[in-house]
Amino acid sequence: MKKNKGMIVGFLAPAVIIFLIVFLYPIVRTVMMSLYKIEAVTDTMDLWTFVGVQNYQKLFTTAIFKTAMMNIVKIWLIGGIIVMVVSLFFGVILTSGIRGKKFFRAIIYLPNIVSAVALATMWLQYVYSPKFGLLKSVLNALGLHKLAQTQWTAPENVFWALLLAYCFGMIGYHMLIWMSGIERISPDLYEAATIDGANKPQQFRYMTLPLLKGVFKTNITMWTVSTAAFFVWSQLFSSVTANRATIVPVQYMYMQIFGAGNAVTERNAGYGAAIGIILCLCVVLVFTVCNKFIKDDDLEF
Amino acid sequence: MSKNKEKKVREKINWKKEAKLAPGYIVIILWVLFTLMLLGWIIAASLSTTGDIFAGKALKFPSGLHFENYIEAWGSGGVATFFMNSLMYSIVSCILLILICAPAAYVLARFTFLGNKIIQTGFVSAMGVPITMIVLPLFCIVANMGILNSIVASKVTLMFLYIGINIPYTTIFLLTFFANLSRTYEEAAAIDGCPPTKTFWKIMFPMAQSGIVTVTIFNFINIWNEYFLSLIFANSDALRPVAVGLYGMLQSMQYTGNWSGMFAAVVIVFLPTFILYIFLSEKIIGGVTGGIKG
Repeated sequence: MKKNKGMIVGFLAPAVIIFLIVFLYPIVRTVMMSLYKIEAVTDTMDLWTFVGVQNYQKLFTTAIFKTAMMNIVKIWLIGGIIVMVVSLFFGVILTSGIRGKKFFRAIIYLPNIVSAVALATMWLQYVYSPKFGLLKSVLNALGLHKLAQTQWTAPENVFWALLLAYCFGMIGYHMLIWMSGIERISPDLYEAATIDGANKPQQFRYMTLPLLKGVFKTNITMWTVSTAAFFVWSQLFSSVTANRATIVPVQYMYMQIFGAGNAVTERNAGYGAAIGIILCLCVVLVFTVCNKFIKDDDLEF
Repeated sequence: MSKNKEKKVREKINWKKEAKLAPGYIVIILWVLFTLMLLGWIIAASLSTTGDIFAGKALKFPSGLHFENYIEAWGSGGVATFFMNSLMYSIVSCILLILICAPAAYVLARFTFLGNKIIQTGFVSAMGVPITMIVLPLFCIVANMGILNSIVASKVTLMFLYIGINIPYTTIFLLTFFANLSRTYEEAAAIDGCPPTKTFWKIMFPMAQSGIVTVTIFNFINIWNEYFLSLIFANSDALRPVAVGLYGMLQSMQYTGNWSGMFAAVVIVFLPTFILYIFLSEKIIGGVTGGIKG
């Protein structure tokens, strides 16, 4: 064991040291920053003024931040429901003995490997285009000429356009998680249920769903983590200045610290740090609630 | 003989069963068609002209194929610089990530020592930490070191950050992989007098090859598509990777009105990960769920 000691330290040191620099130290410092008023993000600590929880209080009285929080909650909740339902539905279809499963699965997952900037451009400049857009031509072909005239990226529609495009890209990933769960359920169970006279919807409702509880938790966690980092899509769907319809906390923070946007009223890096903490707390909250209410695989399979 | 027959029967299309699945087929096929249409149209538009695109004839190529869009985007559009930057960032970071994380994952999986559990918990928790929690202090350090004025130092910093944020995921992924390898190889090597460090590099590291390849593909895709850190830390065109570079180009091309050039740039940006996916989709899909359940 003694001989191994040197090896353990040597093998671990690079990873742990980089981890401390990139994660642990910044996290501690961000928590501290959120309690101070800081003119510029590069200021050294002696230039900070302690303000306690004032940064948080001020954020929650700032209209644009409240809008940003509302937007991200809407994306998390509405988008989450859409993504969870559709991806579960696709997962069930693909595991029901359909032909070409591997091909379909590969195509549905495909958007996940494409750069979000490229994907958002495809939606913005092609699907939603008022001149040569896919939506427009499809609706025209269906005879829905009035609907085809819709300006999808106009202020009153842009949030839903954004949400739809974002969900499209996320479904493949969550579908794979559902599928791995469904495929771990023993086929014997279904056979037994069929013999006992349970039909397919009943089997789905009373067997598949309860058995997928643990997988559901994984899906919610992953969805929450990716939603907390939501940024690229908002930036692409809004013009140069912030758009109230699509602004999200990370974007507000970015403008607050690094950019000259129309949303910045007062320079204070403490706000930025507080936004980071708020998002992190949201993730922790969802995670705790999930763990409390969804017990991991209480059914053995 | 009877087994052969049974197999044949199963391969025959069972129309009754397929008919039951028909609604499923329809939904999935529509979705897949839409996805293919999305990509197909972008590729077609990138080979078309701005005029044809606006006339709604991007798929018909009335004036032939325009490969010059690519030459233009690559050269005067500036994609070449972004592309080469991304290529360097991704490859160097991926290699270093493996050299840093594989040994760490190995000792975490194999040895019991004080702090093992804490390190693992730390890494797993870090995977859920939003990037906004860490970006401000990192920017502060980097800016105060005066790094942002030097191109080479900035590039090294960017790669350091890409490596840093991917360390938890890579280590945890490889940890589960090493934990599943049999200990008999190390025992045999120890009996033969091979020191543990050498055992790792000569025996265990090559045995983990398939896990290393999978995690490297994911790291490559992640770093290739990384946006937020690059936006903050790459403050000039000479430094920018594809995702941020493309965003800048989109902004300017909307004013110049070179739409076919813009679509060509989009295609160039997603092509590397797309090609990787065409050849390795099964491996990638297998790795998606392998990584989380660890």
